[in-house]
Amino acid sequence: MAMKFICDTERCIACYGCVVACKEGHHLPIGVNRRRVVIVNEGKPGEKSISIACMHCSDAPCMAVCPTKCIYKREDGIVLHDKTKCIGCGYCLMACPFGAPQFPKSGPFGARGVMDKCTFCAGGPAPTFSEQEKQLYGQNRIAEGKVPLCAGMCSTKALLAGDSEVISEIYTQRVAKRGAANL
Amino acid sequence: MNKKIFLGLLFIIGALADTAFAQTAPAKAYLIDIWYGFYNAIVGDWAKNAPLFIEYVTKMKPVYLLVVIGVPSVFLLHYLIIGPKKFSHEGEQILYYDVFARIIHWLAALFFSLLVFTGLIIIFANVFGGGSFVKFCRYVHLISAFGFGITVVPMFLMWLKDMLPAPYDIKWFLILGGYLSKKKRPIPAGKYNAGQKMWFWLATLGGGFMLFTGFYIYLFNTSLETLRLYTLLHMLLGIAIVALFFTHIYMSMIAIKGALWSMITGYKSADEVSILHSKYYEKLKKKA
Repeated sequence: MAMKFICDTERCIACYGCVVACKEGHHLPIGVNRRRVVIVNEGKPGEKSISIACMHCSDAPCMAVCPTKCIYKREDGIVLHDKTKCIGCGYCLMACPFGAPQFPKSGPFGARGVMDKCTFCAGGPAPTFSEQEKQLYGQNRIAEGKVPLCAGMCSTKALLAGDSEVISEIYTQRVAKRGAANL
Repeated sequence: MNKKIFLGLLFIIGALADTAFAQTAPAKAYLIDIWYGFYNAIVGDWAKNAPLFIEYVTKMKPVYLLVVIGVPSVFLLHYLIIGPKKFSHEGEQILYYDVFARIIHWLAALFFSLLVFTGLIIIFANVFGGGSFVKFCRYVHLISAFGFGITVVPMFLMWLKDMLPAPYDIKWFLILGGYLSKKKRPIPAGKYNAGQKMWFWLATLGGGFMLFTGFYIYLFNTSLETLRLYTLLHMLLGIAIVALFFTHIYMSMIAIKGALWSMITGYKSADEVSILHSKYYEKLKKKA
């Protein structure tokens, strides 16, 4: 089992609902966006958009380069990190292909604070539903049995989140229904 | 005839209309083009040097471990097998370091030691458990860098002339500074030997390069591609600096008995200078 996101670019309308839901739902500070929307051919024919966050890689490069070894992978494939161990060195950002790690500029001398990234709404290593977990990582919707906020509120259901086998099946069916016209 | 011209005109108009239509019609967006668009916007030039960064940053830690354990072990062996050099500290004294040089040296030494130790703590962050202690070391690393940046400039200027390479430095390297034997033969060296010169250039110019790359690594105010390169170079040069830092400490505090006092009082004994800095001693004798 591996938890993944899929963004259906035929359905995404760049409403930024996922970005706002994530930011508000987890009370993220200014300058930290766990999720972002990327638009290509903006204002031109063939405009398309996609919603991007941590992709919870199966072989996450951030885990390999972290000097504190604070990034880990859960059994269900969700990549999480321990904010009490993170030192904000930024190696994970240099290693990440998707620009997922975020750094608030809150430390002394404009220093980067500890890293923040998408948790798949699964909290962190702190005790589940504890005040500390909420403060550091935001909501733990996976433990509540809910899908991540971004996918849950996506108005066109372009953003799918869940077990990779299940959501890829949904996406395959959609592509089959649409037919080859859109390829 | 008119009919032919009319038909020809029709063709031309048709062709013009066709090109005009082709220009305004929506361009067919193929899935692969959209994919490339997304790839360029999200992943960008990650593939250019990030795989290299990931591969080598993970390989640096064992290399640092090797240096931190290996270099002192080699010196321990040297101490046990060959032993330290002993010189008489009585008799004629030669002024080696004036007050200004000593103050600058110890200030730079303080900041440099802090940089080396906090840097090692950052590299072995998982051993120290990460968190606020290592984060504190990151801030100390930054403040020490400012201190070192200020003191390295006068240090560079005051020793530059004596640290320029000389032909007898090659001979010094060939006999490894005479540290492999206990015999007291004059060793070819000027006011500073080739080993000290190597350390000087690494600490000043290398240190300057560390300050430059470190500035960007701290502030992240350049492209990620450049940052990856700077981080790798910062860590690579750090290996050499840590190795020579330990060497400097061993040589000054243990390998030559009482050598440390020359940086405190400013004087070296004529006995020591005539052996370890023979060329400089000859020059002094000629002058006198």
